[in-house]
Amino acid sequence: MSMRQEFVKLVKVVKTFKKVTAVAGVSLSVNKGELVTLLGPSGCGKTTTLRLIAGLEIPDSGEIYIDDLLVSAPEKGIFVPPHKRGIGMVFQNYAVWPHMTVFDNIAYGLKIQRLSKDEISRRVKEVLELIGLSGLEDRYPTQLSGGQQQRVALARALITRPQLLLLDEPLSNLDAKLRERMRFEIRSLVKNLGLTAIYVTHDQAEALVISDRIVVMNHGKIEQIGKPEEVYKNPANRFVADFIGVANFIPVTVKKIAENFQGIVVTEDGSVIRCTVSSRLKENNKAYLLIRPEDIVLYKDSPPGENTLQVKVVHRVYLGNINYYWLNYNDLEFRVQTSPDFEVNEGERIFAFLKPDKAIALPE
Amino acid sequence: MKKPGKGIISIGEIIIFTLLLLYVIIFIAYPMLIVVFESFHDPKTQALSINNYIKFFSDTYYYQCLINSVIAAILTILVTTLLGIPLAYILARYRLAGKTLYTALSLLPILLPPYVGAFAFIILFGKMGIINLLLMQIGLIKQPIDFLYGLHGLVFVESIHLLPFIVLTTAAGMTQIDPSFEEVAEVAGASGLRRTLTITLPLITPQYASGAFLVFSYVLGDWLTPLILGQKYYLASVAFLNIAYHFADIERKYMGIIAAVLASLLSVASLMAVRTYVERKSYAALSKGTTAEGRVIPIKGIKKVAAYLYVFFTMILVLLSPIIIAIAAFSRRWILTPFPEYYTFENIRMLFIELPSYIQNTLIFSAIALLMALPIALGTGYVLARTNISGKNVLDGIMTSVLAIPGIMMGIGYLIGFDYPLPFINESLSRVWLIMPLVLTARRLPYMTRTTHASFLQLEKSLEEAAFVSGASKLRTFFNITLPLILKGVFAGMLLFLVMAIQEISATIFLYRPGWETLPIGIYLQWNRGTEFGVPAAAAFILIIFTLILLIIFSKTGQRVLGGAFAAV
Repeated sequence: MSMRQEFVKLVKVVKTFKKVTAVAGVSLSVNKGELVTLLGPSGCGKTTTLRLIAGLEIPDSGEIYIDDLLVSAPEKGIFVPPHKRGIGMVFQNYAVWPHMTVFDNIAYGLKIQRLSKDEISRRVKEVLELIGLSGLEDRYPTQLSGGQQQRVALARALITRPQLLLLDEPLSNLDAKLRERMRFEIRSLVKNLGLTAIYVTHDQAEALVISDRIVVMNHGKIEQIGKPEEVYKNPANRFVADFIGVANFIPVTVKKIAENFQGIVVTEDGSVIRCTVSSRLKENNKAYLLIRPEDIVLYKDSPPGENTLQVKVVHRVYLGNINYYWLNYNDLEFRVQTSPDFEVNEGERIFAFLKPDKAIALPE
Repeated sequence: MKKPGKGIISIGEIIIFTLLLLYVIIFIAYPMLIVVFESFHDPKTQALSINNYIKFFSDTYYYQCLINSVIAAILTILVTTLLGIPLAYILARYRLAGKTLYTALSLLPILLPPYVGAFAFIILFGKMGIINLLLMQIGLIKQPIDFLYGLHGLVFVESIHLLPFIVLTTAAGMTQIDPSFEEVAEVAGASGLRRTLTITLPLITPQYASGAFLVFSYVLGDWLTPLILGQKYYLASVAFLNIAYHFADIERKYMGIIAAVLASLLSVASLMAVRTYVERKSYAALSKGTTAEGRVIPIKGIKKVAAYLYVFFTMILVLLSPIIIAIAAFSRRWILTPFPEYYTFENIRMLFIELPSYIQNTLIFSAIALLMALPIALGTGYVLARTNISGKNVLDGIMTSVLAIPGIMMGIGYLIGFDYPLPFINESLSRVWLIMPLVLTARRLPYMTRTTHASFLQLEKSLEEAAFVSGASKLRTFFNITLPLILKGVFAGMLLFLVMAIQEISATIFLYRPGWETLPIGIYLQWNRGTEFGVPAAAAFILIIFTLILLIIFSKTGQRVLGGAFAAV
């Protein structure tokens, strides 16, 4: 077995609810030991995709493999129910059973496997230690905090030693501080146990921190798959750029494409900008120029030449370590991040320099 | 958006669904349709014809019954609305001392057997009742005032009895309204009465419509109250009299069947109208939800006094009948005197010594009915809430229609529909005692299926899904996770079922044979025979005690489930 072995594979999976297409032909491979995030706005089909992998939903068409085993293939009449897929899953609302103690919640999967009592309590103890809940075995869920319930849910998903862990927005109900800590904990847990994990979230910061690879979804389709820095620095299209991080877009026309996707674009008022051009664009195509707030340099006067736009300061917010400006360019609003020392007044006309190595022309 | 996934349909689920469908077809749809079918037969030749209907509508006597029934039903809606909405508002919005008690008590009338009210009000407001006798004694009047015997009396008695339908549904509606809807109106400058009229009441129209339907359909199907009040020109009463007493006169019998069919049609039509309306106008989705208590408005001063006075007034109306029945049960010679002449245990003794079978039958039939209804309700709740089987709407539709079918129709249906010898036992089902619990099951089923279904819906699906992914099969999940978590709701439904089963008379009166009399039937027979009033009062008193015991258990296990039983019909 090589490290890059495919562990989960989806082939053209489609799922519709009544007349709404939730998942519209998704194909995806997750390698063994990889932590992949399904990221997108609500209604993009990410949770449905996860539930299809879990077997909690049946696809309309397409095929799903787990560990080389075909588990869902409606055209072939194949459907392996969730309890036979050998997975662990953490639900958004934790779904900790209120009528069972912490011990019984966690031990449930082992009791089904008919392990001996000693074996069960040994393994529950083990996982409780791993997850940091030792001593709470006899508590009922109502006596636990949200964070503790979340850990019980995680322990319950891990107890059967599944090869595949599915997490459906597991942190969305926690407060901000705990959420940030749990991101790291979950990632190191998954890595230490050598699990393959699929993680659903709508929080792009969470996705950037936790993932080996991010799958950006919209309207039931995959927009881009890539490592965190790839989807941030080199988004496939305007949607991905907009969804991950803060993005400014300027409508442009592609004038020239040179080697290594370097090229020249022209704005509507004729300003010439050097930038990277997406491989999906051709010369004379209409496009959107993506430039992130941190990739713009502001000058009060003396324009330094090319890649410069004249802009008007609309609004300034002082955030301590940075200044944040809202600028107006040809009735287009965009945001720029500067050092706290750079100060201009609202209403002033200044110049914005777009870093040529950071600006990217993207298709719609 | 997460949509509920229904999963794949297993063989087990198909078997359960098939059994349930068979049940509702055989024991609900078939008996109803056979009566409708029968109504199109010529009494003499047995040929298919619509002559019965022509005759019914051209006979002013019968036609008048239809008009009377509709008028009485509409007037009762009017009175219960006027009495009930303020009470519901007070109970839902103000935090009065003893609120839980008032809420529980406001439920009482519908849980008590229907004739309790009629009997009690005859003692109190009858021609020679307490009020008239007292008024005559102090010389205020010479002739007794006719408080009861007429449309006004019927509407009065029915209104007190059916008040809970309006109070319960609208109070539940008011509690569910997102408080911000009312607060926004107040910020906008509409306060007090104006806010109530323009925001609160329009928002609860769906719940109110459900309550009003229940009132309407109950009055249409009630044969007993008019008869006790000496009136017979109502659809249900005429149906009962014609079929139970004039079955030998074939033409009158058919007019009775037509009356029952018409009452059912009106009732089912109003149910469908209300359902359509409720579905179109469901505001719940707009709301972000609220606390269990809903919005609470603080009051003080004269308003507070007025609120208390109004609650006490309605509580007296509610408690009057059980108290009077209790006195009557322990007294004799309560005739022509404002108060009983002497108190005794004689009535209770007679009941226990001479007629213990009434009590036995009531308990045994109700218990058997409960045992039959339990798996049906669990199965129905599961199929409706957790599977995707096409045709489950048919199941739901037939089950719900029971709410609209008058007991009298069901009684006639079972009588006609199961009058054919069964294989093996060579006896028709209508002649076997099992018919009694069977009809109880069918008639009271909605109370249990609705609470059970509501419990399934309230149960977070991910709790079950977490068990699936832990390796548990559907069956195992049902017993380990689902059942323990919905048990409270199921138990509440069982209690409500029992309360409603022990007071049932409308359908069973057509089916009982000597030896099968239940307590309500016994009460009716005793009253009809004209024996001293103490004995039927004692029987009614025993029923009240049963009901109260069940009610106390019920109030401990969760009243909130009740909203699911009556609301959103």
